[in-house]
Amino acid sequence: MRDFPPSVTTFWSPEGERAGSPPDTRSPFRFLLWMLRFQGGLVAVGTAFGVLWQLPLIAGPWVFGRSIDAGIVGDDPSAVAVGAVVLLLLTLVGAAFGIALHTLVVRTWLISLYGTTKMVTRKAAQMGHVLPRRSPTGEILSVASSDSDEFGAMTEIIARAGSQVVSFLAVAAIVMWTSPVMGATVLLAAPVLVGVALPFLRPLHRRQELERNRNSELTSMATDIVAGLRILRGIGGERTFGRNYATQSRSAREAGVSAGIWQAVIEALGVLFSGVFLVLLLWLGTHEVLAGRLTIGELVSFLGYGLYLIGPIRTFFEFAQKITRAMVSARKAIAIFESAPPWSDREEPLRLDPSAALSDGLTGFTARPGQLTVVVSAAPEESARLADRLGRYLPADTEPVSEEPEHGLKGRAARRAQSERARRRAEIAARDAERTRGPWGASLGTVDLADAALADVRRTVLVSDTGSQLFAGTLQDAIDPHRRLTRAQAEEALRTANAEDVYDAMPGGWQGVLDERGRGLSGGQRQRVVLARALAADAPVLVLVEPTSAVDAHTEARIAERVAELRRGRTTIVCTVSPLWLHHADHVVLLADDEVVTEGRHHDLLGGDPAYRAVVARTIEGELQA
Amino acid sequence: MTITDPLATSADTWSDHSADPPVVDPRLRPPDEASVGERVASWRMRHHLRREEADRVYAASRNPERGWPVAGDRAVLDFFRDLIGRRRRMFVVLIALNALAAGAGLVVPRLLGTLVDRTVQGDGAGLDSLAWLVVAVVAAQAVLTFFAQRTSTLFGQDLLASAREYIVRVILRLPVGQVESASTGDLVTRVTRDVGTMSRSVQFGVPMAIISILTVSLSVVAMLANSVLLAVPSLMIIATSAYAVRGYLRRAPRGYITEGSTYSRINTTLTETVEGARTVEALGLSGRRVRQGDDDIEVSAQAERYTMSLRNLLFTVIDVAFNTPRVATLAFGAWGYAQGWLTLGQITSAVLYVEALSGPLDRLVGELDRLQVGATSTARLLGIAEVPPDREPTDARPDGPALVGRDLRFAYREGHDVLHGIDVDLRTGERLAVVGPSGSGKSTLGRLLSGINRPRTGSATVGGVELVDLPLELLRTEVALVTQEHHVFIGSVRDNIVLAREDSPDEAVRAALAAVGSLDWVERLPQGLDTRIGSGQHVLTPAQAQQIALARLIIADPHTLVLDEATSLIDPRTARSLEGSMNALLEGRTVVAIAHRLHTAHDADRIAVVIDGRIVELGSHHELVDREDGEYAALWRAWTS
Repeated sequence: MRDFPPSVTTFWSPEGERAGSPPDTRSPFRFLLWMLRFQGGLVAVGTAFGVLWQLPLIAGPWVFGRSIDAGIVGDDPSAVAVGAVVLLLLTLVGAAFGIALHTLVVRTWLISLYGTTKMVTRKAAQMGHVLPRRSPTGEILSVASSDSDEFGAMTEIIARAGSQVVSFLAVAAIVMWTSPVMGATVLLAAPVLVGVALPFLRPLHRRQELERNRNSELTSMATDIVAGLRILRGIGGERTFGRNYATQSRSAREAGVSAGIWQAVIEALGVLFSGVFLVLLLWLGTHEVLAGRLTIGELVSFLGYGLYLIGPIRTFFEFAQKITRAMVSARKAIAIFESAPPWSDREEPLRLDPSAALSDGLTGFTARPGQLTVVVSAAPEESARLADRLGRYLPADTEPVSEEPEHGLKGRAARRAQSERARRRAEIAARDAERTRGPWGASLGTVDLADAALADVRRTVLVSDTGSQLFAGTLQDAIDPHRRLTRAQAEEALRTANAEDVYDAMPGGWQGVLDERGRGLSGGQRQRVVLARALAADAPVLVLVEPTSAVDAHTEARIAERVAELRRGRTTIVCTVSPLWLHHADHVVLLADDEVVTEGRHHDLLGGDPAYRAVVARTIEGELQA
Repeated sequence: MTITDPLATSADTWSDHSADPPVVDPRLRPPDEASVGERVASWRMRHHLRREEADRVYAASRNPERGWPVAGDRAVLDFFRDLIGRRRRMFVVLIALNALAAGAGLVVPRLLGTLVDRTVQGDGAGLDSLAWLVVAVVAAQAVLTFFAQRTSTLFGQDLLASAREYIVRVILRLPVGQVESASTGDLVTRVTRDVGTMSRSVQFGVPMAIISILTVSLSVVAMLANSVLLAVPSLMIIATSAYAVRGYLRRAPRGYITEGSTYSRINTTLTETVEGARTVEALGLSGRRVRQGDDDIEVSAQAERYTMSLRNLLFTVIDVAFNTPRVATLAFGAWGYAQGWLTLGQITSAVLYVEALSGPLDRLVGELDRLQVGATSTARLLGIAEVPPDREPTDARPDGPALVGRDLRFAYREGHDVLHGIDVDLRTGERLAVVGPSGSGKSTLGRLLSGINRPRTGSATVGGVELVDLPLELLRTEVALVTQEHHVFIGSVRDNIVLAREDSPDEAVRAALAAVGSLDWVERLPQGLDTRIGSGQHVLTPAQAQQIALARLIIADPHTLVLDEATSLIDPRTARSLEGSMNALLEGRTVVAIAHRLHTAHDADRIAVVIDGRIVELGSHHELVDREDGEYAALWRAWTS
């Protein structure tokens, strides 16, 4: 039988292995069916166990009633003994299957939860930088962290509701067989009881939603206060924002109280209705007994059934609720899972030659092999765009489409908004496909990057952009994520990036632990660790975008010198306007309006090219006149 | 002075990963083939290993290596006692109403029993009036339930609101020095996840536990009143579960805390993978990230198996212990009936009581469980309050704006001074640029000169008074540290600007906005100064956000500004357009500019070059550039050539 955590091969697999079949994303309903199939029969077994777990509740009242009639009233100790033994056995069977059911439910729940998380991770691995272009990262994450839980809840409620349908029918058969009048009352009254509470549920849910919204706003405010705490303690404003928080806290409390009072109404009604139902049942029963149509034992067992039947009916409403929520979650999951990479490798991809010149057709830029080329541009985003093209990255120029349903939209308007979102997603995918069709426009030697395998491109050209991120883990893993460097190589990278102070500041040196995203390091330290990592990767072609923007002049000068030395003989491209880098460049290229305006040696250009001087010297001398 | 190689210990700390422990202890995998006895033994060992892990995680969560402190159990108890103590009347009403509601509920089975007895007697006399009596009791029970629940809600929500407001007040009082240096990640986790966990236990846990205890004890009384003969065996059977319940309650919270921490690991890893998708792709890390995600899940699955086993052990006992009383009631009922000690009605009532008891008992176990998990979160929240204040303001008031630093030394780690006796005299109205390599101590110098930290030795004074002896409200209007951190708070534009002087009139706010050149766009906002900005509200451009940050300082109006460039990444696209706003702020103030761009330094009246915690050069740009072998001159040449 399947167990957790499930193995998942969907979307992504290690090189050389085949990826498993993807989930069914044609509709939320099909997706949920796929999720159930993913459980491999566990839900069906769970349903069967559920029936056995409820055996004491199904058969218990009947056995008890029989024992009263035959044993107590009939004064037959052996009948009492048999009844007691049967009841005991039923209890034991129920307890045993209760544990089996609990184990199975935990399994199905976790298979859904872990399975969904694993699929999201693999989707991110498969799509790379394209995924955040299409969906907001927050939603990608919430599919893994909260929608996955809804799928787990769905498997549980299906097993439970399934078993209760069976036991409901069994109880129905027993009561109808014992007394048609009483049986019909029990079977009809139970749904009515739960049904009366329904009109009160809608206002409750509305209030609970208001409470949730206010609470989440309150959490945002607290997070906001912490995020800006340096300013609040440095400059001031504690009173204002403390008061704003308190005001919101009170309004959250009001919403909570209002929801709680409705909850109290429903609880009270529950007490009232089920109490009245029991009295009614017993009153009817006593008249049946007096009329001789019912024994006293049967009456007692009806009391038991009356109490029991409220459970299954509640479960059916819960079932409806949870399935609806699972459908909403399925829609969100589909939005992530259905997205496919815009590119696929040619059947026989060409091999890249790392020793060739890297050039870009749009700007006319060429990086000479084995040299340090510095790209200068008055607009930093222009050189960033060039770096994207040189590395075959799609630029971050899309508005990711949210799948979060808008508040207050219902029925047709909601469906329209939904298909609008689907259309916008398809539009982005189509645009990506358009961009990746045909030649890419940048080439290494004579090979257009689109004609090589993407993995080959990534291995050959490493672009370290300004968004480069550090990951939680040891400093050693931050510099050497692939675990293939020698210590000497790692040290060299660290020294070249002038990041020795980070090592020094870490308790435990290489084994010192970085927080997530390198939080806890200063901006300059983070940047230098990122640079050290890029250098340590030892890519044949390295493209660095603004690698030292957060670093002081002293350090920047050292880094530029060391990087030039380390990368000697291998193609290196640096996008920056800092003279400290230009000084070490073999070749300098000035970019304006996505075109190479001029190129040459820094010294020559500074002396002879007014356009170049205007851009580079602005940082130096623009201030002199100011 | 000897310069030691910072990488001197590299050989000792580098790992070849051969000694890395496996993600999941291999002993935690069940054997493939084994006899039943071996299987049970192996399961017991696994369970034991998982318990050790849970104990470890719990211990670590109570004594974190890094981050803010965690309070002890005593502080948590005192906190709750105090919260409840301040609502004594409400608490008494809560108890009374719930006792009445539970009591009414316990009368019903008794009356139903009587109804059965009357039926057995066979004359049917008074049946209808008895039925009506039950209906009346049920109605009373419903009304009491409503009021009892309503009181619990009011009580729980009130408790919760004061608890969370207290925590935020504490956060807003944290010492400035610590806030400047500590990572905020830990605090964010505490105000989100821990407040969430605490909320559940304060809002529902506390009242529910009280109600369950009441109901259980009253039920016991009712059972005994109905029939001692039927009640005692049942209660004894239920009592047998006490041992298992205690064991569960002792262990489960640690299990759940461990489970929670594995889920936050899963989320952290995935968040990094998704947000750093491009980095992952560029460096070919997909395989590693997928494996790391799978490893996190393996670890989490072990934590889940532990709590699953704990629950299974508990359920085994309580399922039997809560259900066998029915059998006992039947057996003893038959015996007592035969002896003539009992009526059928009493047996019926006893069965109903036994059925009614298991609900609150179950709930009680669940609530106690959750309360303990909530208590650990509360301990983490109260830990924030244990950070001692870093300054005691005195009554001394500065007699002028002269800012002076004498023999300044400072160490973040004991024995590791980053400043080695710096003397600095600020001339009123001058611009002093501080340049130097990173790690040279220039940012630290800035923090001492703005009164964020107290120097280890020496003094930093304004108008003759130690900066750290001034009340914060006053300090902020004397000197401000500007870190270019342009956080926009959730709140109105006005709220975002008046920080330093919170009672500023609108004219002052407008004037500040006008000074930095943003009055135009603010007035075009839908509600002007009342427009809500910040995360999730009206979105500002980066340049607008920076203008807001500058307007705050205009309102603060300190005579001295310490600008620290190095602590933030200035967006080069907005830097240029903000020059005007920046100049408006700097006009007429003394400025210490900690610069990493040389052009900033060039404009200054004087430049201090800080290397290894000392000022090695001090003078105007021209003086320094002219020194042949000077540090600054060398840099300037590299910059301009």
